[in-house]
Order: sequence, then C-alpha cells, then structure tokens
Amino acid sequence: MDSVARIRRTMAFQACDRPPVIAQVFAHAALACGRSVDAYVASGVVAAACQIEARARYGYDAVFAVLDLTLEAEAAGGEVQSRRGVYPAVARPPLAPDDDFRRLTIPDPRTAGRLPMALEMATCLRDACGDEALVVGLVQGPMTLAVQFLGIEKALFLAADDPDRFLQLLDYTAAVGKAFGLAQLAAGAHLVLVFEPAACPEVVPPGLFREMIGPRLKWLFGAFTKAGAIGNWLHIAGKTGAVLPHYVALGADIGNFDYCVDPEALLEALGDSRLCLDGNIKSLSFVTDSAADVEREARQLLNVFDRRGGFILSSGCEIPPESQEATIAAMVRTALAWKSGQSEV
Amino acid sequence: MPPELESLVQALTEGEREQSLRIVADLVSGGMPSVDIITGGIEKAMAALDKKCTAEQFNLLEIMLAGRAVMAVIRRLFPDDAALPAVRGNVVVAVLEGDIHDIGKAILKIVLTGNRFHVIDCGKDVSVAAVISAAAQCGAAAVCVSGLISSVIPQVRALKPALARAGLAHVRVLAGGAALKQCTVAALNVDHVGQTAFDAVAYLESMTPAVVCHG
Repeated sequence: MDSVARIRRTMAFQACDRPPVIAQVFAHAALACGRSVDAYVASGVVAAACQIEARARYGYDAVFAVLDLTLEAEAAGGEVQSRRGVYPAVARPPLAPDDDFRRLTIPDPRTAGRLPMALEMATCLRDACGDEALVVGLVQGPMTLAVQFLGIEKALFLAADDPDRFLQLLDYTAAVGKAFGLAQLAAGAHLVLVFEPAACPEVVPPGLFREMIGPRLKWLFGAFTKAGAIGNWLHIAGKTGAVLPHYVALGADIGNFDYCVDPEALLEALGDSRLCLDGNIKSLSFVTDSAADVEREARQLLNVFDRRGGFILSSGCEIPPESQEATIAAMVRTALAWKSGQSEV
Repeated sequence: MPPELESLVQALTEGEREQSLRIVADLVSGGMPSVDIITGGIEKAMAALDKKCTAEQFNLLEIMLAGRAVMAVIRRLFPDDAALPAVRGNVVVAVLEGDIHDIGKAILKIVLTGNRFHVIDCGKDVSVAAVISAAAQCGAAAVCVSGLISSVIPQVRALKPALARAGLAHVRVLAGGAALKQCTVAALNVDHVGQTAFDAVAYLESMTPAVVCHG
C-alpha cells in the first residue's frame, strides 16, 4: 500500500496495513542531509531534495512543500530578515492598522517573493514521489496571517476595537491563503495544510473563533476541495480541546492536536466525529528525550487510537530542526512495526 | 472595598480602558492616593486575572486588553515613567538571541508591572552578556526569559553559570514561553519554569522578601 492510499483510507476510517506516520519535518530535513537551514529556505529545489532524502532515510509517509513561515508576509510587501542558522523572521509587517484592507492586492503565487519557490518545491516533490508519499502544501490560516501582517498586538487590538475592519482584514488574508493554496495544489500538492496557531483558544476567545475565523476556514477548505485536494488538514497548535470537535463542520478531514491535549479526553469530546487526528508527541521530545522515551510515547498513542482508527502518528507541532535523528527514527519505526489490533493492555 | 474600586477592578479585568480611566479620574479627584488605587484596584484586578488564567479560560486577547487598560491607568497615575510606589524588586525580562517572538515577554512585563515589580526590558534577540549586564546594573532580583523556539535552550542553560561568574548567583532565573515551558527546571538549568506569566509572578512573590528586594 502506498502512503497516499494509506492516508486516504485512514481519513475514511478504513483499515490499513499499518497506521500512517508523518514527521512534521521542515528544515530538519536539511540538517539531516548535511545542508544548512539557510540553503533550505533559499531554494525550492534544494529544499525538495532535502525532503526527499530525509524521507528515504526515515521512511515516513509524507513530505512537506514548506520552506518557512514568512513567505506570505514577504510576498505581501513585508520585510523579511534572514538569520544565519535559523528560519527567517518578519522584520517589518506588510500592513498597518489604518490601511484600507478592501483595496489590497492579492500576491500572485507565480511571481511574488519566494512563493514561486514553494510551488517549484511542490512540483519537484510530486514528480519524485508520485503517490508513494503524500505531498503536503501549506498556507497560514486567515487569523495567523492577520497577526503576521499587522503584528500580534495591533491585530488583536483591531479585532477587539474595530471588528468590522478586522473582518475585512480576515477576508484579505483568507484570499491570500486561497490563492497560494490553489497554486500549490496545481503545482502538485495532494493537499494543503492550513496552519492556524493564532486561532488557538489560548490566543482568542471561542466566540471570535466561531464567528470570525471559522467561516473563513470553511471557505478556504471548500475551495481546496473543489480544486481536487484529497483532504483538508487543519493545524492549530496549543490547547485546542475546545475547538477540535468543530473541525469537521469547517470542512477539515485531518485535525492536528498538540502535546498539551489529552488523547483520551479528546476522544471523549469528539464522540462519533469522523475527524482524522494527527499528533501529538511533544515537539521538544525529539530534541531532549531519548529514542526509548519517544518510542514509549508513540506506542501509547497507537494503543489509544487503535480501536477507533482515523489516526496518524505524528508530533504535536513542527519537529525542531535541531532534533536528534534517533528520536524521529524511533517514532517512525514504532508505526512501521505496528499491526492494527495489537493494542496493549 | 469601596464600590468605585470594585468597578475599577471589573473594568480592568474586562479590558475596558476608557471606562477604567474615567473611574480612576473620579477616584483621584475624590482624594484617593495613587498607591491605594494601585493596591486596591490594579493588584486586585491582576489577582482576578490570575484566577481566570486557568487551563481553559485563559486567552491572550483578553489578557492583552486587560493589560492595556492596566498600563493606561499606571501611566495616568505615574506619568513620565515615574517610579511605582513600594516596588517589590527589579526584574530583567528578555528574549534571547535567535528568537524574535516577544509577545510572551510583553505580557509578562504587564503582569509584573501590575504586581509592583520594576521591569527592565532588554528586548528581543539579545545576548546572554547583555542580560547579565542589565541584571548587574539594576541589582535585579530575577531574570525572566521567554522563548518560542527551542534553539534558544543552550543560551537559557548558560544564564545561571554566567550570572554566577558575574557575582550574581543570588539572581533567580525564570523561563517561559511556548518552547521553554515544555522543558523541566533541570533541563533548562533555571530556578522556575512558568506555564503562564501569572505563574512566574506567583513564584517571585513566593520568594522570601529578602530575595525579592535584593538590590
């Protein structure tokens, strides 16, 4: 069974040869292949080669057409600061609170900033992997882009002080994400992960999520489905127990859950929801813990979800670039050796 | 508690900046000393926020709105950066080199100030040496570092030895933020890992007065 078939079946809660395992590895792929983070974020071709080599080494089920998280801000006119050995950062946000958000131009993914590099990366990955591995694109969600495009304090104060204008901003950022996501699908991605950490209940109240962010996520997912995505993946880090049960209604097929969400409590909260879950080994465990620790945590997770199905073994968030190879290998090895129905008492 | 102070506590916890300022103006014109407004209004509001800051009720937006209202009141009562009365101690806050995410530090700064700590803000992407220098200069009781990315961990681990080398072994080191709060005290070689800003303040308040007021 190839990885794409395995993930399709898992999303549909159908039996598989083994549970899928996805290491959320971006620049770690570069370090694992003897390249630098700087080289990784500067070239879609180099980054794709690193992703392919890292997957060949570890044997997980997906590769990511992801460079870093400043692409949209850079394409929208923000200033991005390169920093040796770590991911670039947004030094100057592209927007100001007084801007007319209804009159902004959507960056063209074929020409703006480094967006074309991400598309090139998606194409390289799909050409190399076909359906052997899931090719995952990524856009940042409307709330996360709003925070990045204005700065977090200005964005949150605008949400509270002038909700109507904040909605205009969310409409703009959702449109930016839609254009970039559709281009990634056209370039070869099987699906587009929507990364939306700023929508976490630890950042915004549930009402704001429900009324302002949720409808725009639904709109995004609808567009991706229409464009042929094999599924929709919503990734919100942090304590998301209160919002995860709503993901299916937004159009998400896969929901990431972070290390701070208790798997047993989540299962109870989800009831008979058909949300495929992805998680939740603590990201830092891959840096600081032993391979045996990670293997133990992986086995516990596989046990918890063995009967329910609809589970992809993964980390709670990105696996940090400086992670130990042995810990990632331990997570993958555990899933590869797992036989459905072998749950341990 | 006088009803006006109760109203102030409510307005502050709800993040109502303008209403808070109106109440404070009434209190001041009625003759209430600024220090009483701080202890009876702002500190009570911070305590109420601390209570609210439980696992499922906390969210950054509400804390930021409350923090904005608190800082507006403090600036009204003590304009031009005048020192707060009866400061509990000096605390250095920083985001270490390589990390530029400083919202956690901004929240911590507000919560510390609202609880009568004097905050020396070193900024973001700063070296361990700059933090040690600031701690020495102000006679800090504690250094608080916030980190969103795990690559700063080696620098966090280096803080206590660097403080000791500078003759500042008594200065407590606290860590927090999305990446650092996943670690143990031992793994970071710090005195305390705070899950929230309020948690860090509770630790500082639990220290003996002699340590808090050092310097």
